[in-house]
Amino acid sequence: MAVTDASDTLHAALEGVRQVLGPGAAFGQPWKLAGGAMHDSWAIDRMDGGGARELVIRVSPAGRADHQKTRREFEVLRVAFRRGIRCPEPIGIGQCTTGEDYLVMARVSGDANPRQLIVGERNANARVNIVPELADALAKIHLISPDDAAAAPSMRAPGAGEDPLAFERGVVEETYRADLLNAHPAIEWAWRWLDKQLRTLSPTGREHCVVHGDFRVGNMLYDDQGLTAVLDWEGTHIGEPEEDLAWFCTRVWRFGRSELEAGGLTSREAWLNAYEQASGRTVSRERVAAWEVLQNIRWCQITMMQARAHLDGRTTSHELAAIGRRTAETELEILRLTGVVERMGRRAG
Amino acid sequence: MRDRAANARDRWERFQFQVAANSIGVLLRESQLEDGFIREEWRGLDMLLGTEPLPEGQAALTNRLNQRNDELVTHIRAGRFDGDSEEQLVRHLYETVMNKVRIASPNEAV
Repeated sequence: MAVTDASDTLHAALEGVRQVLGPGAAFGQPWKLAGGAMHDSWAIDRMDGGGARELVIRVSPAGRADHQKTRREFEVLRVAFRRGIRCPEPIGIGQCTTGEDYLVMARVSGDANPRQLIVGERNANARVNIVPELADALAKIHLISPDDAAAAPSMRAPGAGEDPLAFERGVVEETYRADLLNAHPAIEWAWRWLDKQLRTLSPTGREHCVVHGDFRVGNMLYDDQGLTAVLDWEGTHIGEPEEDLAWFCTRVWRFGRSELEAGGLTSREAWLNAYEQASGRTVSRERVAAWEVLQNIRWCQITMMQARAHLDGRTTSHELAAIGRRTAETELEILRLTGVVERMGRRAG
Repeated sequence: MRDRAANARDRWERFQFQVAANSIGVLLRESQLEDGFIREEWRGLDMLLGTEPLPEGQAALTNRLNQRNDELVTHIRAGRFDGDSEEQLVRHLYETVMNKVRIASPNEAV
């Protein structure tokens, strides 16, 4: 199979595969997989019949110091895979002599295109089946305790007894203020709204658990029957289930089906019901509502960070420049979630 | 640009042309609508922070608008709008954000 892109990371992909499989392993020519703003992913087939035959090697550019993050993801994936969660089997990690970090996994079949999942005619069955499958996968992820993932380094975690929402609020605010380009009064008001909720929300009394951290349509593989794998585990940390449940509902991940709050696939309530059925646990709707506001603020921070990357000259990209304009959409969603739009007596979007 | 997107060679190229087309749309709407929206925002800030004359010239207006929004943020963080004055604040926030969305993503503002 011909190499489709003469990327700098091809040499790293080849070196990484040799380091993991051993110098005697035979494999075919790698080809670059589509997608991924942060890493390059290369597909490669092992040819000599030992171990997994179809592989993916994900390479982080040199200089990003991703080794701890890659190891963290690898260790959590090991636990997740052993527990039967639909995810790629992790095979090995390492660092190339030229500084790139890599992660080798077994390749899973499926499509990653979120818009096709949500609107594609051939995916009608997948849309029906995938919601309970996603709920099941998430419920199993949330059964992984901090002790179970002890081998994963530097897992961001609230302190013992600390409210995970309060903890993440601090994390998000720190990065938000660092990336802020100009004043956003609507988001500032949302911070105060969130603080009022934190004063009145009841803690769940549950132990903290591993959360995926980026569980959304777009970070999964599916086929015409449903879910084949949950991807992109680099954001895992310690928290509570409502965080992942809320991120899945963030408006930006609905890909045009805004009326279906949960990933453009189903209503928020149906999603939470599916999770409760899969997990046997009760979900706090009030906590999900507060998390949704925080998660939308987090998305605003991400849009600002991406716009800043263009404005600072680190990356010249009209995409990144344009995405900064989309912060306003998320501000409107925040005003919707906090009841302001309803107070104004209108429906927006 | 939209024609180029429809006839693109692959998904990546289609996406680039779509982003470019959307960006041009933003610039067009900005040229048509922003002047009025800025003046509305200024009047909203007058209601919340006290009346101030409109500066002369676009650059001075934009600069002072940013400063007033910084002031508004300071007041919000200090809790000045908690309580009875919150209604006036959220109305201003709603109108200002809606106007931004009308420029950036008009389909979201329906």
